[in-house]
Amino acid sequence: MQIRCKASAGTMQSSDLMVVVEPAETLRIDIDSTVKKQYEHLIRARISATLEELEVSAGHIQISDRGALDYAIAARVETAIRRAAKE
Amino acid sequence: MSNPESDRPGGSARLEARRLIESCGLRFEPDFDDLAELYDQGHLVACGARAGYVLKMLAIAPSHQGGDLLGELLTRLIQSGLGAGQDTLFVFTPPQNVPSFQALNFRLLAAHGQAALLEHGPGFPAYLAAQSARITPGRNGAVVINGNPFTLGHRHLVEVAARQVDRLYLFVVREDRSVFPFEVRFRLAREATAHLANVTVLDTSRYAVSAGTFPSYFMKRLDGLAEAQMRMDLHLFTQVLAPPFHLAARFAGSEPLCPATAAYNRVMAEVLGEAGIDMVEVPRCEAGGLPISATRVRAAFAAGDFQALEALVPPATLDYLRSPAARAVAERLSQMEGT
Repeated sequence: MQIRCKASAGTMQSSDLMVVVEPAETLRIDIDSTVKKQYEHLIRARISATLEELEVSAGHIQISDRGALDYAIAARVETAIRRAAKE
Repeated sequence: MSNPESDRPGGSARLEARRLIESCGLRFEPDFDDLAELYDQGHLVACGARAGYVLKMLAIAPSHQGGDLLGELLTRLIQSGLGAGQDTLFVFTPPQNVPSFQALNFRLLAAHGQAALLEHGPGFPAYLAAQSARITPGRNGAVVINGNPFTLGHRHLVEVAARQVDRLYLFVVREDRSVFPFEVRFRLAREATAHLANVTVLDTSRYAVSAGTFPSYFMKRLDGLAEAQMRMDLHLFTQVLAPPFHLAARFAGSEPLCPATAAYNRVMAEVLGEAGIDMVEVPRCEAGGLPISATRVRAAFAAGDFQALEALVPPATLDYLRSPAARAVAERLSQMEGT
């Protein structure tokens, strides 16, 4: 899937996250999280896995996370990507 | 629990927001781009506004504090910002509210006295990443100019400063609130300092003298609010810009004419001194017995006095002022004279 335009998904509520994706030539994932110190590697791994499943190889992915569980991370990232791919 | 603003008659909604904002001890300012409002059983319980990239008037009714209404409010305002191309948002808040915003992934930029400034989004780390190739170690210095447009006074200041530091960063104010557009101000600063090997011209983004943090600068106003903004701007300089750029000194031209700029220099010496950064005031150079200033250049340009301009601006600026591209600026200047 290709990120064709800027799109977002999610909220800033506790236990949720907000995802903003936009087109870019390479893949870059920036994570802000209230639990960044403990869990950044797990959040990043979940995002990378989701991007792989959706066959996304380029784009700028920005995450503002408030302690979301991994299935919420996957769902929000997927929604943002599908919106950005204009599906 | 939340309904869009359009569910209610516009006038009464705004009045209710105003009442809530004022009941929280904040001042209602009508100049915003978007107002987010949350209702509970028909009553407004939380609201907040976005003016450009600055969030303001965030108010939550005392009966509804302690929950996650701030999160819901910020979801709305962040979405509103994204829709308007503002990915990074600023918020000013009293120091005791800093943790509430940090819990929403806002990063603290600067704090002093009764105010703290935080941002959400790519913000400063993204700005820094874009500049990282231009950052060199050593005892570096900074000059911050609007350069509206670049004068021989600016060039003199930069030349004097560049001799005293390893690398001089010439920050050009990004904000497009001046008659000369940013692209022109930036390019002229670059061309007029190209002969100085240790000078790097950078864009301030919104991290120095921006309309979001220091709006009174652009109105040349001088009162309590202007001084608070001045202090925040200078704390932003010492706390955010200075460490990554290894800034040990900041240079500014002495200000014999404008009281607002003179006050800025005075507060600069104080705030920078506290942070262990030297503030060096360089005597302004003169032409025809009067200090060279961008104000003087604009007046001469508006009057079409190119003979006077030759003594006030470097060749790069003179070439630009003579070019057809500068005609639109001349028109804007003469319109401003008329009003």
